[in-house]
Amino acid sequence: MLSSNIVSLLFGLSSICLVILSLAVVVAFNPVRSTLMLIASFLPTSLVYLLLGAPFVGILQILVYAGAIMMLFTFVIMMVNPKPESGELGESTKTKNRINWPIFVSLCIAGILLVWQVRLRSDVLNLGAKPAQNFGDIASISQLLFNDPMNNPLTVSFELMSFLILIGIIAAVSFSRKEGGQS
Amino acid sequence: MPDFTLSNCLTLAIVIFLIGCYGLLTRRSLIMILLSIEVLLNGVNMVFISFNYFRWGTQELGHYFFMLSIGVAAVEAAIGLSMVLVYFRNYHNISRDQASRLSEDMA
Repeated sequence: MLSSNIVSLLFGLSSICLVILSLAVVVAFNPVRSTLMLIASFLPTSLVYLLLGAPFVGILQILVYAGAIMMLFTFVIMMVNPKPESGELGESTKTKNRINWPIFVSLCIAGILLVWQVRLRSDVLNLGAKPAQNFGDIASISQLLFNDPMNNPLTVSFELMSFLILIGIIAAVSFSRKEGGQS
Repeated sequence: MPDFTLSNCLTLAIVIFLIGCYGLLTRRSLIMILLSIEVLLNGVNMVFISFNYFRWGTQELGHYFFMLSIGVAAVEAAIGLSMVLVYFRNYHNISRDQASRLSEDMA
């Protein structure tokens, strides 16, 4: 186990990286750059998940999110190939780097209130039980998900996810069909 | 450096969620709106995992919800991006402002 100083240091560094990269995603003008920033922001996220005792989830974050979902985004951005200066993105260069103050201020107020509530209850929040010995490894996750599959509601709902993904595939294919024609 | 506690993890998650909200409300390109939703979901997932670690260390239910959440995110990205592609094929831009007037075009 890592000592608590190193854990705090890693957590602080990765949260700073995460906040900076997420801001870069939101304010970057070029969508390709913004997608790359989002992929980069998944690395500190998965480091935080590792610290939170979830190595499998951290690996899923890299493999599924950065590998598959962001790949889809990059593919579509390359297909649409929007040029930022031609206005195809709907964002003219005049409004570049301009902060939308009403939304910014109201989100800041919401953030201050939420963080204040979290800090106010920090003594209650921080007294939890420590996790079990083999918490978060793949064996115990699969034990939770697939133990006694006939009577386990988690197994059923996990399998229902595959139907949701199937519906997503069918919807995506039927949206992108040209009207009347083949494919 | 901040201590590794539940309240600090929740603060990080709230900050990421609000950054995603800012992008969702201010960007005008439909692809950027979908990317901001991914940032927002990232904050939500962090809440699941951190509550699971600090308050419920016996079962990995938060990890399970994380898996459901990335499944939903994948489906949402696939359907949203295919709608963006169809929209781009018909209108040759992906601006939010024009997309919100779609029903007026039909009339």
